[in-house]
Amino acid sequence: MTLLALDSVARGYPMRRGWLGRAVMVHAVDGVSLEVSAGRTLGVVGESGCGKSTTGRLALGLETPDSGTVTFAGAAMPPPGGAAWRALRAQMQLVPQDPLGALDRRLPVARQIAEPLVIHGIGDAGERADRVATLLASVGLRPDQAARHPHALSGGQRQRAVLARALAAGPALLVCDEPVSALDVSIQAQIVNLLTDLQESHGIAMLFISHDLRVVRQVSHEVAVMYLGRVIERGDPDAIFTDPAHPYSRALVAAIPGGSKPHAILAGDPPNPADRPAGCAFHPRCPVVVARCRAETPTLDVRADGRAVACHLARG
Amino acid sequence: MGLTVVPSASPLIRISGLSVAFNGTPALLGIDLTVGAGETLGLVGESGCGKSVTWLAVLGLLPNSATVGGSATLDGRELVGAPASVLERVRGGRVAMIFQDPASALNPVHRIGRQVSEAVTLHRGLSGGAATAEALRLLDEVGIPDARNRMTAYPHEMSGGQNQRVMIATALAGRPELLIADEPTTALDVTIQAQILDLLRRLQREHGMALVLISHDLGVVAEMCERVCVMYAGRIVEEAQAGALFAGPRHPYTTGLMGALPPLTGPRLRLTAIPGRVPEPWAMPPGCAFAPRCPKRIEACDVSVPNLRGEDRRVACIRAAA
Ligand SMILES: Nc1ncnc2c1ncn2[C@@H]1O[C@H](COP(=O)(O)OP(=O)(O)O)[C@@H](O)[C@H]1O
Ligand SMILES: Nc1ncnc2c1ncn2[C@@H]1O[C@H](COP(=O)(O)OP(=O)(O)O)[C@@H](O)[C@H]1O
Ligand SMILES: [Mg+2]
Ligand SMILES: [Mg+2]
Repeated sequence: MTLLALDSVARGYPMRRGWLGRAVMVHAVDGVSLEVSAGRTLGVVGESGCGKSTTGRLALGLETPDSGTVTFAGAAMPPPGGAAWRALRAQMQLVPQDPLGALDRRLPVARQIAEPLVIHGIGDAGERADRVATLLASVGLRPDQAARHPHALSGGQRQRAVLARALAAGPALLVCDEPVSALDVSIQAQIVNLLTDLQESHGIAMLFISHDLRVVRQVSHEVAVMYLGRVIERGDPDAIFTDPAHPYSRALVAAIPGGSKPHAILAGDPPNPADRPAGCAFHPRCPVVVARCRAETPTLDVRADGRAVACHLARG
Repeated sequence: MGLTVVPSASPLIRISGLSVAFNGTPALLGIDLTVGAGETLGLVGESGCGKSVTWLAVLGLLPNSATVGGSATLDGRELVGAPASVLERVRGGRVAMIFQDPASALNPVHRIGRQVSEAVTLHRGLSGGAATAEALRLLDEVGIPDARNRMTAYPHEMSGGQNQRVMIATALAGRPELLIADEPTTALDVTIQAQILDLLRRLQREHGMALVLISHDLGVVAEMCERVCVMYAGRIVEEAQAGALFAGPRHPYTTGLMGALPPLTGPRLRLTAIPGRVPEPWAMPPGCAFAPRCPKRIEACDVSVPNLRGEDRRVACIRAAA
């Protein structure tokens, strides 16, 4: 069952180039369609600036798309700030990269974990205390740790606290935006395991955003690769990791440190979203570019094997 | 990997019993390691284990709050406690260091050409047109496209990857015998990381310089290094040739780090996360610092700190075969 659907959503920001330059439109997200099924994880990968976080904010209804639609549980996303939108917060939650920034430095974390229960009027004081205790246990925090302020916790413990708060109101969807990127590898593994455990026990769906392909492979049921505001490949994680179809996906997989290196290193810098190349946006860096790529933008088409690829040469 | 590289009689750098404390709180608890001419040594471990402090101590770059003990010699000459004039000549000369964040290491108000030519002047005594010409050659060598025109660019006009290339050009200005690269690609996208690692590999091959690569990323180290030291809580806990280390880690911490890294192939099993967290420097366990998190812990582990045992392969664990 589809829980979250983005249909051709686009979001641009005006950006001034230099001090005197005129404002140009940065097309952060430029026609993205994706679906997340209940209880499943869609991983979103791509280089910085490709629009992953903007996609996450659009999915949560924290921003309104310039065009296209966001549908959650079969209903259109209500405009931000209204009563319907606020009620939806219990259903969908963000898990950000920086837990310290997401927590209130002045309050013990247990209080903050209880906050969504208060906001959504869930339970009485006693029931809330029980619920907080359950949440703490499920994310692996001790009560004495939860009594501390955020700065008195380690990075991993803070991320556990943020997770407990995100889970408080029993959401159906978590948008995890680089949730383990700031953590050391041993702690990262703890949180990755916790996320998969929580998904199993609570049936939560996840939009899992990360630049780390190893982590994305570990947690995802499906993967979308983004480049310059668009999804350029989508499919089964193992298929994409062992046999990437888009030349950009091939370059990404080849660049994973410690992986096998069947493909050449990609030349050039990541592109500027304010200066999108004509045709296929990847063509200036593409090792297999042909004339058509400079003129014609490839659409994301589903191949016979079920993989969706936006490349003139990888139709399969 | 096959053949073990026997370190030559006199390594380029020999560090023995190096310790560092900040205002009395120990950060480095006795490091022994050598770097041979032309070799690539990886230093891995989680944040705060002392990777950076080791080399900042060797190069005399720590603040006054740091107390440094032990020894670090360059071709037999002591660097710990050496006069500032000696250290200044070594830094950027025979030993150069680059960091994670090139944008903050570069001067934001100076053009990049000037920054590289100043390093050339400082370490090679060239000036004027000769220094500028050498700066241009270096920028070209590190792969700055259209280097002649980019000489006049400011760091903010360059991408993160290009700024790291400029940093590397600056480091090369003194023709170092050893380049210490401290998380040089951590802030970069993976495709750019691959470019910078490739550049480091090429430069090392062409110049025959030694490279110490500090990284928290096992994959990066596996790909780049001949020999690897794994650090934990201010000590080296395992040292081996890279191939041997990744084929069969002996310290439970190294095993734990590898199990925590999600694989790229095969079934997706639960990661074997290391429980708990690194001890605080002011609350170090009495015995092995890893014991509280270790699946192989026995009572003896809590009695004393295990020595780093072994010859070409060293491990600091009483439960491991050396
Ligand atoms: N609030 C904003 N105002 C202006 N530009 C923005 C804003 N949010 C994102 N952008 C721009 O949109 C592009 C995509 O950003 P983002 O979604 O954060 O990418 P990612 O998360 O993949 O790194 C970037 O060029 C970024 O600078
Ligand atoms: N200037 C400093 N003052 C006080 N403590 C420091 C300083 N620099 C590093 N430390 C401490 O020394 C330890 C080792 O740090 P470092 O070598 O930077 O770790 P890493 O392995 O991440 O490079 C850490 O506990 C750190 O907090
Ligand atoms: Mg982002
Ligand atoms: Mg460091």
